[in-house]
Amino acid sequence: MPLRSNRAPASGLGNNNQGTGGRELVVCLVISIALFTVGVRTGDSGPLGAVRGAFQTITAPVRLVGSAISMPFQGLGNIFSNLTADQATLSELQAENDELRSRNAELEEAEQTATRLQGLLDLQNTYDLQSTAAHIISGSSDSWSSTVTIDKGTSSGLSVGMAVTSSSGVIGQTVACGATSSTVLLVTDESSSISAMVQSSRAQGMLNGSAAGEVRLDMIRTDQTVEVGDIVVTSGLGGVFPKGLPLGKVTSVEKNPGSMYYTIVVEPYAHTENAEEVLVITSLTDSQVATSEDVAAADSQETSSSSTSTSEDSATDSSSASGSGSSSGAGSSDNTSSTKSTTSSNATKTGN
Amino acid sequence: MRVADKNRDRRDTLILALVCMVCQLALAPNIGIGNGRANFALVFTACVAFNAGGRRGVLAGFFAGLVFDLSTTGPVGLMAGCCAATAYLMGQEGRNRMAGELAASMAEFSIAALIVSLIYHLAMLMVGQSSSLLDVILLRTLPTAFLTIIAFLPFAWYYSRSVGGGSGLSLGGRRRGGGSHLSTRGL
Repeated sequence: MPLRSNRAPASGLGNNNQGTGGRELVVCLVISIALFTVGVRTGDSGPLGAVRGAFQTITAPVRLVGSAISMPFQGLGNIFSNLTADQATLSELQAENDELRSRNAELEEAEQTATRLQGLLDLQNTYDLQSTAAHIISGSSDSWSSTVTIDKGTSSGLSVGMAVTSSSGVIGQTVACGATSSTVLLVTDESSSISAMVQSSRAQGMLNGSAAGEVRLDMIRTDQTVEVGDIVVTSGLGGVFPKGLPLGKVTSVEKNPGSMYYTIVVEPYAHTENAEEVLVITSLTDSQVATSEDVAAADSQETSSSSTSTSEDSATDSSSASGSGSSSGAGSSDNTSSTKSTTSSNATKTGN
Repeated sequence: MRVADKNRDRRDTLILALVCMVCQLALAPNIGIGNGRANFALVFTACVAFNAGGRRGVLAGFFAGLVFDLSTTGPVGLMAGCCAATAYLMGQEGRNRMAGELAASMAEFSIAALIVSLIYHLAMLMVGQSSSLLDVILLRTLPTAFLTIIAFLPFAWYYSRSVGGGSGLSLGGRRRGGGSHLSTRGL
């Protein structure tokens, strides 16, 4: 490319040993063409691909350093790139972005599902539950009951009165079973009642739902110890729920003057709006139901409650209310004994 | 008269090669306009060809192009051939041509960069690496040539300020008036 032919060589001496390089050029061009041909024919799988791979491996640290150094300037480069991008490229990128965003949401969903299923699996392993996994497919279809519908029914071995739990805690129990779906009565439903106990003090009572959606732990005597933050678990007395499954946390404890029992509000751990996969506990092992000692402890609790009630009856006129509460408590304790066979009628309304 | 040291010339060429290679590997991939990237192999080729030329320029161009080919995803040998041919054409004239001739060096290099970039990208088009001629010219050739010219600017400026013996490739601070115009290579 001799554009400056009028320019004289800077030094004649310097050219003596160099020549024009014509021979070298021919050799280099021949080698270049040979390399080019081999490279195009064999692609990355050929020997040149291996050489290139080795070269790029060796030079990778330099590239990394360069990338780190030029990081602050890359935004500027992107601006130029964006300015020079044509409409087709932008549309293509937009479509790709949409696709990736959708894929990302899908993967996040899959990750959350995997986490939930892992939680259920952990729960199943921890409590050694004989259970069937199911999906919640819909919520309550009416405004007066708190239920959900799951996608498993009698064809999967489910029956009325089975306990249903999510990875975070008990949800409720089945109250109606079709061939391929079942209705689960939630613990928050007004008619739900589950034998429960305070984990720390082992004080036993009944966890009842209410129309307001509030869950209360009833039948806990005021001479027992219950504090805000205590964990409430299933007592296993009903024979439906395994002993020790988490139910919720005590959020308020009130002691009303003249009352034998605390008014305890419990925040359930499980919320069906957050749960999609659940476990239906199909049967219990002997170690999961309440022992005779537990039943005796519950009975003694009620007995002492009754005796206290009786002594108070003689002293005050408010005995009738306490007495009915006491008998109700004893009744539920008896009920738990009678429902160990997981019969449907008991499970539906009176709980365990 | 300052006597050129052949070893020092080699060392200076080596330093220049190293600088250009680092720039090619670390800088060029991260600074781009459109799909264009600066070609420091061509910059190195031009520096050697302008200052030394001849056999040495051709070989330097060939190996610089080979490094470029290995560092990219294009076919090996293409830029090596381009750079060797460019070095041959640029090295036909005298030595130390960059000294005091910034504008002329830049003009000559700009034309060379444009032609090499066009040939390279047309070859890429022919081997199926690209699909559109317009894309090749507007989004690849022109930005690449522009960036390569920009990349050559500091080198041209540096060598335009240096004069003196040897091949003129010295990075050791020989400055205008600091030595003889006569190279003693070959003596």
